Amino acid sequence: MAKFTFTDDIFFGSISELSAALRKKDFSTVELTHAFCDRLEKLGPRYNALALSLRDSALRKAKDVDRDFKLDRVRSPLQGIPYGAKDLLAVTGKPTTWGAKPYAGQVFKEDAQVIDLLHKAGAILIGKLSMVELAGGGGYRYPSASLTGPGLNPWDRTRWSGGSSSGPGSATAAGLVAFSIGSETSGSILTPSAYCGITGLRPTYGLVSRRGAMALSWTLDKIGPMCRSAEDCALVLGAIAGNDYQDPGSARKSFHYAPQFARKPDEITIGYAAIDFEETAETSTRAGFQDALKLVKSLGMNMKEVEIPDFPYGALTGAIIGAEAASIFEDLIRSGRVDELADHRQAQGLKAGLDIPATEYLRAMRVRALVQQAFRDLFLDVDFLLAPTRSTVASKITDRLDGGAAPATPPKSRGLSGLIPAGNLAGLPAISLPCGFASGLPIAISVVGRPFYENQLIAIGKAFQSHTDWHRKRPPVTG
Amino acid sequence: MLAAAAAAPQAGSSQTPPPDADLDAAREQMKASARQIAKVKLPMATEPAFHFKA
Repeated sequence: MAKFTFTDDIFFGSISELSAALRKKDFSTVELTHAFCDRLEKLGPRYNALALSLRDSALRKAKDVDRDFKLDRVRSPLQGIPYGAKDLLAVTGKPTTWGAKPYAGQVFKEDAQVIDLLHKAGAILIGKLSMVELAGGGGYRYPSASLTGPGLNPWDRTRWSGGSSSGPGSATAAGLVAFSIGSETSGSILTPSAYCGITGLRPTYGLVSRRGAMALSWTLDKIGPMCRSAEDCALVLGAIAGNDYQDPGSARKSFHYAPQFARKPDEITIGYAAIDFEETAETSTRAGFQDALKLVKSLGMNMKEVEIPDFPYGALTGAIIGAEAASIFEDLIRSGRVDELADHRQAQGLKAGLDIPATEYLRAMRVRALVQQAFRDLFLDVDFLLAPTRSTVASKITDRLDGGAAPATPPKSRGLSGLIPAGNLAGLPAISLPCGFASGLPIAISVVGRPFYENQLIAIGKAFQSHTDWHRKRPPVTG
Repeated sequence: MLAAAAAAPQAGSSQTPPPDADLDAAREQMKASARQIAKVKLPMATEPAFHFKA
């Protein structure tokens, strides 16, 4: 085989494009793996995206996969595709740091379930990707709250990549991996997806096994794909979703991508709030968000203005994550090693979680049941919810992330403000879709659905992406 | 290859409040959350959003 020159078209290619090229034998899996490993090792540190290169094990796997291709044995569309995993997912015999100094030398004897499933699908794990320490559970003040430093945005390295799946966000956006696996407790897939201009999918709670992933909040944690398109998210979700009896939160359901069963647009009603695309959005983003809303309206779906049910979503996620994280990390906190964390505010937040009385945690969990019912009622009126994923562009890496002043004049309506914590509290799936740029930085919209409606979510994402090319834009990565 | 941390020093460290202030602020935030949650009308029969299974 003549030596293939790997261009940006390969590094930014879709999973289907790469899969087709492998089957046509344009290049071998080993060659593709070498090329992506070279790129990830060279450019990953530029964005503080790389926690650990896994080149050696990746090449061993790639050789096995090439043998399968030679025998025309194709296990899945992910066969031969290089990917990265957030460093909270265990990989046998390799450091899994959770982005945190106290766990820097931690090694597990078994792969996380998601890693094992992707291995069986023939995907090639080329690196562990950086994250905010302990997935940001204590509440962190600065983007530098990580063993690997602040996640840097490939569109502008003075800006944050978002977190806590910072490495997956920036590595996928910069074409250092074909896709990545992130996690979300409250915003950690959607935020870096929005800030880095990629497509991220937060699955329904329980659809993807959490076994072998660091726990931050047992009742809120979800593992999900971060890719360059809705269709790629579908392919990855198909490989990683499914029952796992060893995950107490497993929904015992699987996912099979079935675009042929997607409903027609005129059978779907989208709930949205105009205020989210106007007043609530940062000024520089409004034009882009309004164009995105116009495009969604033109896709033929019914549109209805709605308002988010009235609950203190931030307080609820704060109480639930606070109590669950403090319990999970109790040994770390009581030993004093929590003070080794990079972010002082985060360490104190974890300590404060130990003071939450059981009755307050239980009250929050009871109100959470009301939140779930309120969203079930809302989904009697509409099928999906649409809102900007984040109402601002990525912040500067020197900006504080905690606090933020309340608006001088409260908005006239809630709109769908708080949809990230609300959707997580109710266990709902969501997809974040790049929809434009503001001040040179990506912006995105999210579509949120009922539990287990990922197929239709992805169909809406595909329809949007068939009319736009925001998801194909490439940041100025050189070298 | 373990990536070296290309970390900026923690921004604003010269302005980090004294250690207890952050812990007090975190505790106060938890209490403020509890006050907000307490305002939600909660029917007595509402069970927490998790269930034990034998």
